[in-house]
Amino acid sequence: MKLKYGILFLLVVFLFAMFCSIFYGGSGALSWSEVNSANFIFWEIRLPKTLTAILAGFALPTAGLLLQVLFRNPLAGPYALGISSGASLMVAVSLLATQSIGLGLFFGKSVLIASALSGSFAVTLLLLAISSRVRSNVVVLLIGLMISQICGALLGTLEYYAEPGNLKNFVLWGMGSFSGTNYKDLFILLLFILMSFVMLLFSIKPLNALLLGDEYARSLGFNISRTRFFLILISSLLTGICTAFCGPVAFVGISVPILSRILFQTSRQEWHLLSGVLMGSSLLLFADALSHNLIPDSSLPVNIITTLLGAPVVLYLMFKTKQW
Amino acid sequence: MPTLVTATIKKRCRYCRKSTLNFLKSLCGELKELKGVVLLENKPISTCSLEELSKKMALVLTEKIRGFNLNVFDLVASGQMPYTNLFHQLKETHLKVVRKAMEMTGISSLAQKPLHELSDGNFQKALIAKALAQQTQTVLLDEPGAYLDYGSKHRLFEWLQRLAREQNKCILASSHDLHLVRKYCNKLLLLSDGRAELLDTEIAITRPAFLALGGSYL
Repeated sequence: MKLKYGILFLLVVFLFAMFCSIFYGGSGALSWSEVNSANFIFWEIRLPKTLTAILAGFALPTAGLLLQVLFRNPLAGPYALGISSGASLMVAVSLLATQSIGLGLFFGKSVLIASALSGSFAVTLLLLAISSRVRSNVVVLLIGLMISQICGALLGTLEYYAEPGNLKNFVLWGMGSFSGTNYKDLFILLLFILMSFVMLLFSIKPLNALLLGDEYARSLGFNISRTRFFLILISSLLTGICTAFCGPVAFVGISVPILSRILFQTSRQEWHLLSGVLMGSSLLLFADALSHNLIPDSSLPVNIITTLLGAPVVLYLMFKTKQW
Repeated sequence: MPTLVTATIKKRCRYCRKSTLNFLKSLCGELKELKGVVLLENKPISTCSLEELSKKMALVLTEKIRGFNLNVFDLVASGQMPYTNLFHQLKETHLKVVRKAMEMTGISSLAQKPLHELSDGNFQKALIAKALAQQTQTVLLDEPGAYLDYGSKHRLFEWLQRLAREQNKCILASSHDLHLVRKYCNKLLLLSDGRAELLDTEIAITRPAFLALGGSYL
């Protein structure tokens, strides 16, 4: 597919997805006049939710793409490597701990953010420490899976002993959701994403060099440990902040970059970042709109939709292309 | 700087336990020197910045590169990375260098071919084109021709020899193929027993160290 036309097409899809999410992403469709007037549902529910989905659609594919280059493995991603699980675990620990001693209101979301970030950062660092010792990518991936399982087991333990009220909230959070963010949260989310974006601008060239392997990247004048550090920092920031506000959204981080590489035959990562952002946010917006409309008078968790929507497409495309 | 093709002869040294690959890596500053100092233009290599080094020394290894939709053009163009802006934007001056490098290695027609579809010989050429696009005075090669058949090996070395003469480059290649080494290189760097000797080829092939490596069978 021609790059520029492809991006243009994705942009149209993105706008359409945004439209769907705003007008149909809830119980009952909105009309134009309702949107034009100072409508509470539009301003306080639909719009923040749509914006959250767009920002999450920026964060997750970007994190996934960076991790795939970093580990030189197309199957790497924030969810598959256990980074989301690490963030979830830390969030659960802080949520349940602060609630049990009644400090939850006092600290509010900053605790949530800090714990999610520390969780994602810890897991990524651990993975990187391991991957420098283990040469095989498959082993690193398996270790990521194991970390994810261990975090899951610890999470299960916490849930088992949690109070019923807390439990439901936490389980719902774990299924991923874009509602429940207000403008203040959005501002924080945006701030973190902008921060990552600036770092990303300076990382694009080393990212492209890293495709050739560490030795060549170094001989082309890039400091490998510094590049790695920045890539980890960016991907953990993005995964952590996204997990803090939307829960561990599955599948988008890994599948969108794969899809982008299959659709656009270029090795320039900046194009894949761009198309990944457009595709990721479109996917999340559609998923959001679908989750409210698939079953009447009820809404499904976003995670279920993203997985069901994306997995078959990627499977199909992966079988069709031979090269990995 | 003299024009020369130098070959180091692969042998694990008993005392320093270094392969020629590690030797090359020490030369380009990726590994720290065990003993002594590597000087580049009379300056210790450890004091050179990576950026500075990338404009002076290029590296060609044997390892395959694949995946991520990389094609020949991308690989060769990456040689220009030390000279492009923050986003690796290829302007006409950069493209000229890239095209020239591909022409010189005879892989212009393969520009859009994915790396995983290349034959070993063409892949080696693409890597060398990348090193040429890096516009460095020195090129280090680790076992060029390791995967090539007999004829291609000779063509490669012949071509490296011409490159050294015409472009006035210093090309240092590691090899354990004594035939090739004797035929095409004007200097040999013999590594054995933790010592290195840089000698003219005619002198080097009479040395006990060379003979011990298998030179006596030549």
